[in-house]
Amino acid sequence: MRLPAFQYLEPTNVEEALSMLHTHQGAVKIMAGGTDLLNRMKLRLMEPAFVMNIGNLRNLDGIDIGNTEIIFGANTKLKEVAGSMLVNTKFRAIAEAAFQVASPGVTNMATIGGNILQDTRCLYYNQSGIVLNGLERCHKRGGTICLAVKGNNRCFSVYQGDMAPALIAFNAQCVLQNKTSLRTISITELFAGNGVTPFAIGPDELLTKIIIPEPKTMVGSAYRKLRLRGSIDYPLASAAAFVSATNDGKASACRLVIGAAGAAPKVIDGISSEADVEKMAQKAYEQAEGINNLQLPGIYRRKMVSLLAKRAIAAAMGRIKEGM
Amino acid sequence: MNQMKKTAITLNVNNEIHEVMVYPNRTLLEVLRDDLHLTGTKESCGEGVCGSCTVLINGTPVRSCLTLAVAAQSKEITTIEGLSVGEKLHPVQEAFVNHHAIQCGFCTPGVILTAYALLKENPNPTEVEIRHAISGNICRCTGYAKMVEAIKSLAEEGR
Repeated sequence: MRLPAFQYLEPTNVEEALSMLHTHQGAVKIMAGGTDLLNRMKLRLMEPAFVMNIGNLRNLDGIDIGNTEIIFGANTKLKEVAGSMLVNTKFRAIAEAAFQVASPGVTNMATIGGNILQDTRCLYYNQSGIVLNGLERCHKRGGTICLAVKGNNRCFSVYQGDMAPALIAFNAQCVLQNKTSLRTISITELFAGNGVTPFAIGPDELLTKIIIPEPKTMVGSAYRKLRLRGSIDYPLASAAAFVSATNDGKASACRLVIGAAGAAPKVIDGISSEADVEKMAQKAYEQAEGINNLQLPGIYRRKMVSLLAKRAIAAAMGRIKEGM
Repeated sequence: MNQMKKTAITLNVNNEIHEVMVYPNRTLLEVLRDDLHLTGTKESCGEGVCGSCTVLINGTPVRSCLTLAVAAQSKEITTIEGLSVGEKLHPVQEAFVNHHAIQCGFCTPGVILTAYALLKENPNPTEVEIRHAISGNICRCTGYAKMVEAIKSLAEEGR
């Protein structure tokens, strides 16, 4: 498959990248690893006038350890995240999520920032021109209908990123920069919650860092995912759990984040007593959107979100016991 | 239609320097095959799933179908043609031949490069590590068992 035509931009530092974004506002797509963007461009889902390659900006790369937090540069490769000893011991759900993205050949290229900012997907949208030419234009393609939920007036495309649920479970923040300013927001605020334009980011903004506060109490975390082919696919249902415990190892709070269940990851907070786990799993089931627009039926995916929620919470609690 | 300009780029492929005139929308895979005639690198899915276009960039296996040629400058690119020395096969290639780890052969260049990179990074991988490393290289003949045996034989030899 050939790529459409575009002009190539390669900034040599962050300032230059921000200034290019400012100049070509709205006409430029940012490429880090390229594994998401180039695919979409090959399918002609996106045909930007400019592609800006930030993949060689080394100062956006790597994991920094601060006093009370760890900081991922947005260009940090998922392989590095999955392989980091520190991330595996202290931020297990994040390492597990990175390990389960696609396959090694892809995680060698794909970055944490790019994974977070991947567009939503739908079987009626992520198709080649031959298929799309035979379909009516849906909301995601600038039309006014939804092909997945006939007659519906909104888009039901699904956010299938693995990293965001795990990062949200850890209460991660991210740094967005433009030419003149910088803002730090919670990763949950990145999501607009709508399938057509899933991110609340300005056209001149660049995601530069992801900051994860180091938990102050004893914690356990886990990420669980359903996919058809264990070595390649996007999640069809997923759950990240973050459980904090008192000094004697009793679970005191649990944050559950479900993925592939709508246009944004969904957060369910609860106290993780045994009875509460069932309640949280039930809530996960209720909040998950089960639409027939991915490779497995919506009703099945919804049930699996709830099951994976229980499994993730159980694994996170088990890790607290292991750690004691 | 977007007006594109050809630019001269320099690629270091298998320790040889190549100057090529390319449009920015050409993938590394296209340039390797169509311009440099290094057709050992294969195209199958073209969307990063199958791994048949695997090449090494600075020693790491990547998808050349999702890499822009312009973005691969000033990096060391290794294709399957770069492993053997003249007629002498690389030990990984030899192991694949000896273990009959090749059926139709289409996925083989990608698998061998992935195995080569794995053994460089981890000379004694476990079977689980081997299977994980090649999990992104799809073999539609489903000849995985022989490949794992071939890679394992090298691990045991500690080469």
